[in-house]
Amino acid sequence: MTKFKKGTRQFWIPYLFLLPNVLIFALFVIIPAIQGLAMSFTDHGIFTEPKFVGFANFVELFHDEVFWITFKNTLVYSFLTVIMLVAVSLLLALLLSKSTVKFEKGFRAAFYIPSLLSMITVGIAWRFILGDEMGIINYFLRSLGGNGVPWLTDGTYAMLSVIMVTVWTYAGYYMLIFISGLQAIPGELYEAAKVDGASPWYSFRKITIPLLAPTTLVVSILATINAFKAYELITTMTKGGPGYATKFIVQQVYQVAFAEDRMGYASAMSIILMLMIGAFTVFQFAANRRGSDNE
Amino acid sequence: MRKLIISLLVLCLIASPLLAQGGTEKAASEAEPVTLTVLWFNDGNESDIFMETMQDYLAEHPNIKIDLQIVAFADYQQKLKMLISGGNPPDVARMATADLTALINQALPIEDYTDTSVLEPQFMESMMAYAYNPEGKIVALPTEATANGMLVNKTAFKNAGIDVDELSKTWSWTDWEEAAKKVIAANPNLKYGLPVDFTPHRFSTIMYQFGGHFLNSDQTAMEFNNPGTIKCLKWFKDMHDQNLIPKSVWMGSENPAELFQAGIVACHIGGSWNVNTYKKNITSFEWGAVQMPAGDMRSSVPGGKLIASFKGCAHPQEAVDFMIAFADKAHSGKYDKQTLNLSSRVDSDIQYDSNASDFTVFTNELKVTPAYTANEWKNPNLSKVTGYAKEQIVQYLMGNIDVETCVRNVDAKGADFFK
Repeated sequence: MTKFKKGTRQFWIPYLFLLPNVLIFALFVIIPAIQGLAMSFTDHGIFTEPKFVGFANFVELFHDEVFWITFKNTLVYSFLTVIMLVAVSLLLALLLSKSTVKFEKGFRAAFYIPSLLSMITVGIAWRFILGDEMGIINYFLRSLGGNGVPWLTDGTYAMLSVIMVTVWTYAGYYMLIFISGLQAIPGELYEAAKVDGASPWYSFRKITIPLLAPTTLVVSILATINAFKAYELITTMTKGGPGYATKFIVQQVYQVAFAEDRMGYASAMSIILMLMIGAFTVFQFAANRRGSDNE
Repeated sequence: MRKLIISLLVLCLIASPLLAQGGTEKAASEAEPVTLTVLWFNDGNESDIFMETMQDYLAEHPNIKIDLQIVAFADYQQKLKMLISGGNPPDVARMATADLTALINQALPIEDYTDTSVLEPQFMESMMAYAYNPEGKIVALPTEATANGMLVNKTAFKNAGIDVDELSKTWSWTDWEEAAKKVIAANPNLKYGLPVDFTPHRFSTIMYQFGGHFLNSDQTAMEFNNPGTIKCLKWFKDMHDQNLIPKSVWMGSENPAELFQAGIVACHIGGSWNVNTYKKNITSFEWGAVQMPAGDMRSSVPGGKLIASFKGCAHPQEAVDFMIAFADKAHSGKYDKQTLNLSSRVDSDIQYDSNASDFTVFTNELKVTPAYTANEWKNPNLSKVTGYAKEQIVQYLMGNIDVETCVRNVDAKGADFFK
């Protein structure tokens, strides 16, 4: 009897420790997500009673030109941001993971600090830097006799600008994750490879990249989720413009929900966004598993 | 015995009003403490002046306390919507006309708490138009009026040998274009003629001047596709293509007021609220408001701020009393004078310490503005389309769509809301 009680207690105690987190997650994520899903099948203004409309919102989405522009922009921004973030943060981690650089800790802190700032602050600061007429960079370029660059007034430049600023902001954060991954790789492997005559590039390809794969997966999933949800930076830097050039699904969700007062339709867009993030995460897991199998 | 009873009765009759009076006085001095939640936004320093203005009222009503919450204008409407839908509306809120239009059905009709027939004639008709809900009940009181208009860098015009005060008395947009080119040529640091605020409201100022409009005459449907609007859009694009209007505002979200203050533009289509900021910040050149150039006609767009309460607020009676006090001649006059705003009262006699001539210009702009401009902007369905209209205008300016597609798209989008 006592043995049974002890076994039962041992079984439940871990779940009790998990309970607060599960409750918070359910209350602030799961339940709102279910409500959002339910709302996506309704015609619902913020002050009006919801009216069930079945799949009408999703059908309308398929014919909504602006939604598909924001869909494409979200994919382009997310894809380029994740690729660049993984590359830049890995490069920084490789440079700063061993004490080969002077003031290495200072550099680590300097690269990490932007990720602690509010994205609104980052967006406003970069607008002062990249602004066409009032921006610091164009001021210097014009002082040197140039014409300035339309950082935020040309669609392509504006997209590149927001990607660049996102990478600047988060590269330090992901760099720290990569550094911890690099430090977990046994040094003996590199020494053995060196004895066998392997070049640094060969060691990087055959030791670092494969053993860093789980870390790379974590970084790419976190970066993808963050990229799909980018809101404050875009709103403060470009307001989604020029035109629709940097408008993403989250900005469109906000406009439809609060300016056009169509909460049901906005919820349908959010569901599509959630499915996109889910699909990308599954894809990244699958790609990582295939990579591991090939090794 | 009978005499005694009669004497006691008479004594009671005489004493009862006195006792009642004593009770009322006691009630006034010991009235239940009330904390009014007041939501405010600032164009400049309005919240400070608002609190300063109402100090005498608070001294007379010691039981009233103010919990002032200041919210950025960009987030204001959303914040209010969340508070109201969450069942926790503020008792009192400063409302821009566009925000009041969007929340008109949630605002508290004040006729249940006061005699509105006394209040109604105290305010300008154009401002009171915004104060009625669809049932014709007053839900807000105007506190300040605004007018869209043109502010110019007078020094830059002077450098080009142009007396802008004189020219602006009769100028058309064609005259303005000619003058702007001369002004840019004569001032090496000045690059552009005119930024227009990145809002459909400011764009509509020029649209109305070109004879355009958003809605049909009975306001039951969108009618952005009309000759006046198309003419205005073509002119607007032409000015961008000629670099007379900087691309960085409508395509890069740069703040036109900053461009004007930096002295790199000759003029600015903004409004009467800019006077306060420019007065504080501009010291390197002479500036002022001038009459806007005429298109097919002259027009501004009336707007302003009102004070309102909301259904379901905690203290409706105290909120309405407070609103009436703030909107009265003495308080609103003091507030408008110090915040450099136009009054929305018909009995206003504000003597501004400075910039009086600028306010005369804005007031004159309002006088020639047709009534349908205000009626369009108080239509709650229009406010749902204007964000999309702004995007479509930028698409046209960038050359991604032609002007016909632009106006057709806006009408198609609007049709969803005018069903």
